[in-house]
Amino acid sequence: MSAQVPIRPGRLRRRLTIAFMLVAGLSGAALAAGSYLVARESRLDDSVERALDQSRFNLEFASSVLSSPQTRTEAARQLLDALERRSGFVTAVRVEGQDFSSSISIRAAQAPPDLVAEVRRGQLAYQRTELAGIPYLVVGGRVSEAELYFFFSEAQLFDELGQLRTILVVGLALLVLVAGGVGALVARRTLAPVAEASAAARSLAEGLLATRLPAGGRDEFGAWAASFNQMAEALEGKIAALSLAQARERRFTSDVAHELRTPVTALVGEASLLSEHLDRMPPEARRPAELVVADIARLRRLVEDLMEISRLDAGQGAVRLEPVDLASLAEATIRARGWTDRVRIEGTGPVVESDRRRLEQIVANLVGNALEHGGRDVAVRTGTDGAGAYAEVEDHGGGMTPEHLDRIFDRFYKADPSRTGSGSGLGLAIALEYAHLLGGEIEVWSEPGRGSRFTLRLPVAIPLQQGNEPVAQDAQDEARNRVEG
Amino acid sequence: MDERVLLVEDDASIREVTALGLAQAGFAVTTAPDGRQGLLEFRQEPFDLVVLDVMLPKLDGFEVCREIRRESRVPIVMLSARSDTVDVVVGLELGADDYVTKPFELPELVARARAVMRRSGEDPPEQALAVGTLEIDPASFEVRRGSERIELTATEFRLLLELARRPRQVFTRELLLERVWNYDYLGDSRLVDVAVQRLRAKVEVDPKHPTLLQTVRGVGYRLDPSG
Repeated sequence: MSAQVPIRPGRLRRRLTIAFMLVAGLSGAALAAGSYLVARESRLDDSVERALDQSRFNLEFASSVLSSPQTRTEAARQLLDALERRSGFVTAVRVEGQDFSSSISIRAAQAPPDLVAEVRRGQLAYQRTELAGIPYLVVGGRVSEAELYFFFSEAQLFDELGQLRTILVVGLALLVLVAGGVGALVARRTLAPVAEASAAARSLAEGLLATRLPAGGRDEFGAWAASFNQMAEALEGKIAALSLAQARERRFTSDVAHELRTPVTALVGEASLLSEHLDRMPPEARRPAELVVADIARLRRLVEDLMEISRLDAGQGAVRLEPVDLASLAEATIRARGWTDRVRIEGTGPVVESDRRRLEQIVANLVGNALEHGGRDVAVRTGTDGAGAYAEVEDHGGGMTPEHLDRIFDRFYKADPSRTGSGSGLGLAIALEYAHLLGGEIEVWSEPGRGSRFTLRLPVAIPLQQGNEPVAQDAQDEARNRVEG
Repeated sequence: MDERVLLVEDDASIREVTALGLAQAGFAVTTAPDGRQGLLEFRQEPFDLVVLDVMLPKLDGFEVCREIRRESRVPIVMLSARSDTVDVVVGLELGADDYVTKPFELPELVARARAVMRRSGEDPPEQALAVGTLEIDPASFEVRRGSERIELTATEFRLLLELARRPRQVFTRELLLERVWNYDYLGDSRLVDVAVQRLRAKVEVDPKHPTLLQTVRGVGYRLDPSG
């Protein structure tokens, strides 16, 4: 069992792409932010410089106007008229408690208080503020008792700065997108050999041992492909050698079994003749003859099981499907082997579409094993449950420890090596092969000191066709009665 | 009184011990080491039974079986090396009456031999039966359709007779094994299937679409005289 890690082929590619975008985005953002800040600073400084120049000029002009021999009020009006012709700013004058302004909406009273305080102290000062949503640079100064405030609109300046910001942000976004595209492309290019190697490894795992990577690249991937191919080569060679060895071993087993069959057939015939004359033998020859007969029976079982297992290995197990009633099959099997007194039969018979002969063999092998190793209180139970049809063989003998349980279906495995049973050592292995052949499985439960339970599970239980054949049942009953009678 | 058996087997040991066993069981045994010799022996004198190994040098068991069937209805038991390959079915299809799988015990072979011979020899004379267009005469072992005579082996004849005695009743394979082959419950039901196929090929009007010998799926077979 190989632990399956969920494979997400795009993951590395995505990561590479994101890293690419991140690097491009961050450096682009830093550059954009820096240049924006520098541009903004210089534009704002420019604006202040120009406003101050203009204001100094205005103040000089104002001082000449205000020092003329007119009333202050008139002088202020004259000043406003003169300054209004110069565009770009609004002038507000406060003189002797009176406010004059070149605009209806802006008055000297709207100048920021901090600025007013500075101006009253006689300083030329400036401050930025916002009036009705429009940014202004306000420059204030005092000329002979009059306070003058010049409101320079900076709306256009801030508009331009906003545009610059938008351009930079959009540019940055485009840069990130392009970086993403380029990154994805580069990642795909770079990782293509990885995807190829991954596909190749998968097809190797699926048994296509001839799979190779295109070698010849001069980069790291080329070297990698070369070693991958070396590995595949070695693997293919090893597996070929292994399966050759296995095939040879199986053929040898099969040959041995078949070669043994002829002498064993002669031996079995001779033993069956011998056993008829045991009574008439002299006592000193009789016991050895009995042993010969018994050992030939053992040899015969071994050879037959060996032949059967090599047939199974060769895939020659033909399955003949027919409806089989599990309960009556179990009963007939037990009776045919003469185990009726030692085995309890329980349960109802599900009817399965299966191979009768092989089912009989499975049941016989499981029960035989239980009788040999479990001993007491062997029961065969048939029935259906959620998983399908089952037939289980239970004993209340010594049970097995887990390490025996793992190997119990191995060929010639003996839980207790000192014990030589009458079985061939292949019974459970054959039972399991048969179960697989029939699409089923054998489950084992065992506990030392309590006993064991072997459960043959068959894929489906189908109901016996309840056809319009009332005679059918009679005929079957008749057959059964005859056997019992 | 002694029934005459022809044993064809290539392995000397098996041949000798089997001959010995059959002789001790009361058969008069003639042996042959290969297929050609076997056929020669068979043509020299009449036998009541032929025991035939499948794997024979010169002429294999199937060929010998086919040749014998051309000339005679003598019961044939095949000695098969394997129990579940095509061997068995091929042998039965060629007209063998039964088979025994190697290795076998002599009492088993003797029991089979007796069973096939009893089948072929001891049917008590009964009145002729008419089933559909068929006429079955147990006394003369003859089956006729109109004026046409149909050749059946002993086993096929007994099978047909068993089914025809109770038309329309369904017989399980087990019941047929017991009545026709004299076997216990655990005999190989392939014997029945193959024999029914052979019988169909001979008595059905259209063997590919049998109407007389019907399969009852999951149960067995029955004979429908109207078919």
